[in-house]
Amino acid sequence: MAASMRLLLRRVIRLSHRYNNVTAAGGSARSGCCWGPSTCRCFSDVAGDRSTHFGFETVPETEKAKRVYKVFENVAQKYDTMNDVMSLGIHRLWKDMLLHAMHPQPGARLLDVAGGTGDISFRFLEYVRSQQERQKRRTARSMQTPSSQDISDNYSTEDEDTSQESRAVVCDINKEMLNVGRKRADSMGISAGLSWVVGNAEELPFDDDQFDIYTIAFGIRNVTHIDQALQEALRVLKPGGRFMCLEFSKVTNPVLARIYDAYSFQMIPVLGEVIAGDWKSYQYLVESIRKFPDQEEFKHMIEDAGFYCVKYNNLTSGVVALHSGFKL
Amino acid sequence: MFRNVFGRLLTEPIRVHRYLKNAPLIQRATADSVPARSFSDVKDEVQQQPFDTSLLEFLVCPLSKKPLRYEAETSELINEELGIAYPVVNGIPNMIPQEARLLQKDADASTSPTQE
Repeated sequence: MAASMRLLLRRVIRLSHRYNNVTAAGGSARSGCCWGPSTCRCFSDVAGDRSTHFGFETVPETEKAKRVYKVFENVAQKYDTMNDVMSLGIHRLWKDMLLHAMHPQPGARLLDVAGGTGDISFRFLEYVRSQQERQKRRTARSMQTPSSQDISDNYSTEDEDTSQESRAVVCDINKEMLNVGRKRADSMGISAGLSWVVGNAEELPFDDDQFDIYTIAFGIRNVTHIDQALQEALRVLKPGGRFMCLEFSKVTNPVLARIYDAYSFQMIPVLGEVIAGDWKSYQYLVESIRKFPDQEEFKHMIEDAGFYCVKYNNLTSGVVALHSGFKL
Repeated sequence: MFRNVFGRLLTEPIRVHRYLKNAPLIQRATADSVPARSFSDVKDEVQQQPFDTSLLEFLVCPLSKKPLRYEAETSELINEELGIAYPVVNGIPNMIPQEARLLQKDADASTSPTQE
């Protein structure tokens, strides 16, 4: 017991040293990454072999997807527990805010990319169901004395409802995450209108103009080619469809930023080691947040992909940003 | 009124006990230290989950974006044009091109799915 504590302590000290050396590099990397991934690609095209970032490491692009896959394969079983612990349960509020902003109507079709364990899809289906119940209650109240015409209309609308059932499709590159998600769905009793597909966000296996809403929550920073993912999002959305992205972003308040950095680099990998037995994966997680473009730059990337009315909201002072755009 | 409550309090544990008796495998699978044998038991149970064919409405091949055909015996989604088959594992289709299998009829190995 004491030996493992000593090991843990030594690792903490070693990694905090590494962090101190790396913040200097990390700081310059942050300003560097503001040029955008397009510039990096120009340079590496000339070099003949593309490289990208995996946390603070530089890896060839082909490797990044594999390494991201391994990270999530390792953490899949403990993913939900770790989310609760690391964000102190606040991630539930963030996801609830996403649903409120989305305000889906019954009959809507959702594509939840990088949906993993299905948090967004479950919330979507529950929201839509409660909306449906509210609507039914409203019509029941207004139909206290129905005429025969009203009764026959009611029968016909019931049929329409069943054909316009809301659907949520969870798409993730990692089978393990989807399996965990499906087990959760079965234990929660949510199965109607929920589908699971293994797929790559850069090459979605869906037809054009199919979905009303496309969400990607805390997943887009793990995608190797973000612009390709955004283009695929544009393709599969119906005209008038909405793109919504929840992602960790730059904290606006400088004092909070220092606290957040300290918490991220000192606490989170330790928690990862203690709870999930995986230091490296959680180190990657906090590093990948630093490498992701900030709110404004990501907004420009979404606009470049062809979305209109792109806006973002900072949640928790910029720890998380909710970006939204429409396909018009 | 209280009689109802007492009645439910008595029958509730019996119902829960009965539920727990029927679901020991699922409980064992969700435990952290899972012995290999029980895990494979759960896997066999889960394997039974069928593929939801209503997905085929909008599911297409990620490479060619053309519709697919579901083959129930081999549990695969087949793209005739490119001659590749995507596996369906536990009812979840795996639409990653690298995981697709080339159909044996296609002797042309140069059209490998990874070239895109």
